[in-house]
Amino acid sequence: MRMTSTGRRSMAIAASVGVLALALAGCSRGGSTGGETSTSSAPSPGITDTTLTFGITTPLTGGTAGPGNCTADGAIAYFGAVNDAGGVKFGDGKTRKIEIKTYDDQYVAANALTNFQQMQADGVFAAGLGLGTPTNQAWREAAIDAQFPQVLVMTGDPTFSDQTKSPWQLGLVPTYQMEGEALGKLLTTDGKPHKVAILSQNDDYGKGYVEGFKDGIAGSSNVTVVQELTYEVPAGGAAADVSSQITQLAASGADVLLNAVSITPTVINELKQMVSIGWTPNLLLPSNTNSPGGILLQDGVNAAAFPGIYTTAFSAAAASPTFATLDGGQDFLDDIAKYTKQQGVPAFPHCVWSWIGAQILEQAFEKMTEPTRESFMTALRSISGFTPTLMLEGTSIDTTTDGHPAVNAVVTQKFNGKGYADADSLG
Amino acid sequence: MTVATFIQLIVEGLGTGAVYAALALAIVLVNQATGIVNFAQGGMAVLSAYIALVLVNLFAPATGTAAALVLAIILAAAISFVLGALVERLIIRRFEGGDPDTAVVATIGLLTLITGICGIVWSYNYLPFPWFFSTGDAFRVGGVTISWWALTSILVIVIVMVLLQLLFRGTKLGLALRAVADNPQSAALSGLRVGGLLMIGWGFAAVLGSIAGAIVAPKLQLAPNMLEEALVYALAAVIIGGLDSPIGAVVAAFGVSVLENLAAVYLATIPGTSIPFIGHDLKIVVPFVLLFLVLVIRPQGLFGRKSVVRV
Amino acid sequence: MSWYRSAWFRWIVAVVVIVVLAVLPLVADPFANQIIAKIATFAVAVLGLNVVMGYAGQVSLGQIFFVGLGAYAAAAVILSDWGKALGFGGIVIAFVLAVAVPGVAGLLVGLAAARLRGLAIAMVTIALPLVGVPLAKRFSDLTGGAQGESVRFSKAPAWSGLYDDQWQYYVCVVIAAVVFALVFFLVRGKYGRAFAIVKSNEHVAGAMGVSPYRTKVLAMTVAAMVGGVAGFLFLVVNQYTSPDTMGFGHSIELVISTIVGGAGSIVGSIIGGVYYVLLPLLANQISQATGYNTQNVIEGVVILLALFLLPGGLASLPRVIRRLARRRRGHRVAGGTAAAPTNPNTK
Repeated sequence: MRMTSTGRRSMAIAASVGVLALALAGCSRGGSTGGETSTSSAPSPGITDTTLTFGITTPLTGGTAGPGNCTADGAIAYFGAVNDAGGVKFGDGKTRKIEIKTYDDQYVAANALTNFQQMQADGVFAAGLGLGTPTNQAWREAAIDAQFPQVLVMTGDPTFSDQTKSPWQLGLVPTYQMEGEALGKLLTTDGKPHKVAILSQNDDYGKGYVEGFKDGIAGSSNVTVVQELTYEVPAGGAAADVSSQITQLAASGADVLLNAVSITPTVINELKQMVSIGWTPNLLLPSNTNSPGGILLQDGVNAAAFPGIYTTAFSAAAASPTFATLDGGQDFLDDIAKYTKQQGVPAFPHCVWSWIGAQILEQAFEKMTEPTRESFMTALRSISGFTPTLMLEGTSIDTTTDGHPAVNAVVTQKFNGKGYADADSLG
Repeated sequence: MTVATFIQLIVEGLGTGAVYAALALAIVLVNQATGIVNFAQGGMAVLSAYIALVLVNLFAPATGTAAALVLAIILAAAISFVLGALVERLIIRRFEGGDPDTAVVATIGLLTLITGICGIVWSYNYLPFPWFFSTGDAFRVGGVTISWWALTSILVIVIVMVLLQLLFRGTKLGLALRAVADNPQSAALSGLRVGGLLMIGWGFAAVLGSIAGAIVAPKLQLAPNMLEEALVYALAAVIIGGLDSPIGAVVAAFGVSVLENLAAVYLATIPGTSIPFIGHDLKIVVPFVLLFLVLVIRPQGLFGRKSVVRV
Repeated sequence: MSWYRSAWFRWIVAVVVIVVLAVLPLVADPFANQIIAKIATFAVAVLGLNVVMGYAGQVSLGQIFFVGLGAYAAAAVILSDWGKALGFGGIVIAFVLAVAVPGVAGLLVGLAAARLRGLAIAMVTIALPLVGVPLAKRFSDLTGGAQGESVRFSKAPAWSGLYDDQWQYYVCVVIAAVVFALVFFLVRGKYGRAFAIVKSNEHVAGAMGVSPYRTKVLAMTVAAMVGGVAGFLFLVVNQYTSPDTMGFGHSIELVISTIVGGAGSIVGSIIGGVYYVLLPLLANQISQATGYNTQNVIEGVVILLALFLLPGGLASLPRVIRRLARRRRGHRVAGGTAAAPTNPNTK
């Protein structure tokens, strides 16, 4: 493709790019960059006498947009109602409304970082509740450099709750290791011999579960792992096909399956396949794919064929029949319908987790004495024994322990045909 | 590892392969009829499945699920035909006969747009799609479990494949479609209505995609990105099998799926050692190794026709 | 000859552009600088893709693999003990490896794939990101695994007196400018002519003594090396890399950016970089304003509109405007119809 007078055209277009860049820049360098610290009495950006802006960067379109939208919607619903009732009474005496700004990162780490930089340019006070490990890791160090709170992140990666490594961060959900360990301990309590097959997602989620599970069964004499297989998350977040893995695992003769799978339709297909090939072990399900309404009670899934279905949980399941009778349950359903674009009862637990996260934020806002990020972080890390609505009995929020996320414990439960009830051993 | 397990893995592979084969057939059809490789095929199939779901929910209270499903699939197919024809006329027409890369990117743009619209209208939640029986139902033969869903899907695909092959090689319409794709100018000079035939080609492909979507949705649950990964496999199958051969596309799709699963299990470690080799995480390597081998040995695909270029 | 075609005018414009680019980061917001640095990074990535796809006419869906590989190679050096001990020298070695490792990979891929045609090359190159991601996860000792790794090394050094974002801007823009200049001269020279001949008709090329095979291998290798540079710049700007850096979705995005910007055009590569970086930001603004999550819809609309109006990409805009202006002035434009239909089976 020969071009005539390329040089001339290049210059003209390059000049236009230069003008575009100038237009972007706006000719004045406002705000501070990286290393500057604000003095403790001057308010941080993003907070005025009447509002506080909270940012959420999470996948809103693309393969993981199902859970991604929920990580934002729970908080949007909660603060929607709180704002309409007047706002939050902060620890410094002022009442403020909470404005939530969402940024779509499509589960791409580099986009999450760009969104963080945009948040700084937009003057956001703090951010969090976002989904994913690589996406949150991408801006973790930048947030630390900027002394910018990255809080209540939806990932089980323990780095975020380690105060030495992450002074400006805090995890919300239990670490994958905690959940795996709880499931492992569950198996050791009945003393009977168990052979365990493991199917895990090939990333930090799956690895964390397996690591925790093995910690939980370490030293016990009755539990052995007979086969471990993985699967790769497909492009676009479609259901993974694990039929050959299930066939292989079935041949191992295990009586327990640890299912560290985070994709709902995959789990549904697994359960159907297991029943049809005649392999019905005890099931250990993680907290994000244990939904009665979404999985176990779906058409064609014969949950009763399995001797026991166990899980770990810290929050109530929105798709459970008794949900509306719980304290805060009906409010949740009403607010989600009123303030978000969710259609019907949310299918992912992240909506409830985000709702819980919003309540923790509210606690921190009520405690913080100065309109600064430092004061916010201090207040956030001083919450203990707090029980937000929709958390299960036996769990509570404790942000004071270094190394632990905000949700400090999980409860093991067994499926009873309709929903889950507490259980501490098999059978 | 027993023989039963081996056979079971093959059966599972054939079941999964049905998904790829359905999409692959639609891609072959569009390519034969209009000379374009349509990256948006999966997206159009998903949109059609959403339309079918809306229709099922509309009719089911009156007629019961099974009848509603039949009605919905037929109607959705008809709507897809019209939509496919319109898309060709209004959007794709501009790119035919030009740079093929531009055409491909235009179809990618179309795919992104359709996925985005589905996401906004129906959200990204997984929606259950009803079927005539549960996708878990199966029967046992020897020690092997065969799922009814896989069996019926394979049957439907084979029937469609035969029909397509007949259409292209045995009918005037098929000949006309191929002529128009091959050389629009001389086709026009011979009196063929180029524009109309192009629209029909895309319309048929959309119907095919609609059937694919209806078959797959009960298994995978409906979501905007449902067929994204399947598209890559379908494209690989189309190239391995030959861009102009429906039989090739189907054979390749099933072959790829079966071999991939066998490799994941039997080649998890280098045979005889415990060094990790192709496990379930790397099994995607298999279709591409096959692709490469086929292309080096037989560039027109296993069943494709050699094309002669006059310089 | 009109005054705007004179060499004198060209030099003035060049000087203005250079001055603007040099002074801009000192007065602009940090966010603007970060954006421009990212545009520079992806303009280089698109430039690499243009070498093999736009100039040499071979569709490659694997460019992002080379970008990711370059980033990982540089990261491995910077994070290693000996890399840290060498300080600035370590960073230079990281840059060299960021070019060399993808270059070798590109050479191998080229040797394997160059015998193929058209869609076949596309499918073989698609394998690269699809296989690259699980491989990156598997070799987690080298790559940090699925959760990625943080590579902090592009803080502004004390002697420069600059803020981090300004330093990153200069590093990226300067390196990008050098790479663009190198590629510009490459495609003006005899290799560029070889690319063009192979692109238009391989058989003719063979008859003219230009080996299509060797030309394609060269194109693929150059594309991979340029991609590796983009990977290094990616690390400068993001200071983090993860397996999804080389994911399949990005690979498609790069192809879209190349075509929308204008394939086979230096300026088109810059426009492609602008598109790649600014589109998600634009979509976020619109999503926040409307309350709907519109990123996919906006992207689809932009692609279709851009290609509908300008099938040659946005870089062809001046040419199209000139042609329209000429028509209106009454000049006859000879043979201004679309290109002759090409049959993809023979490509």
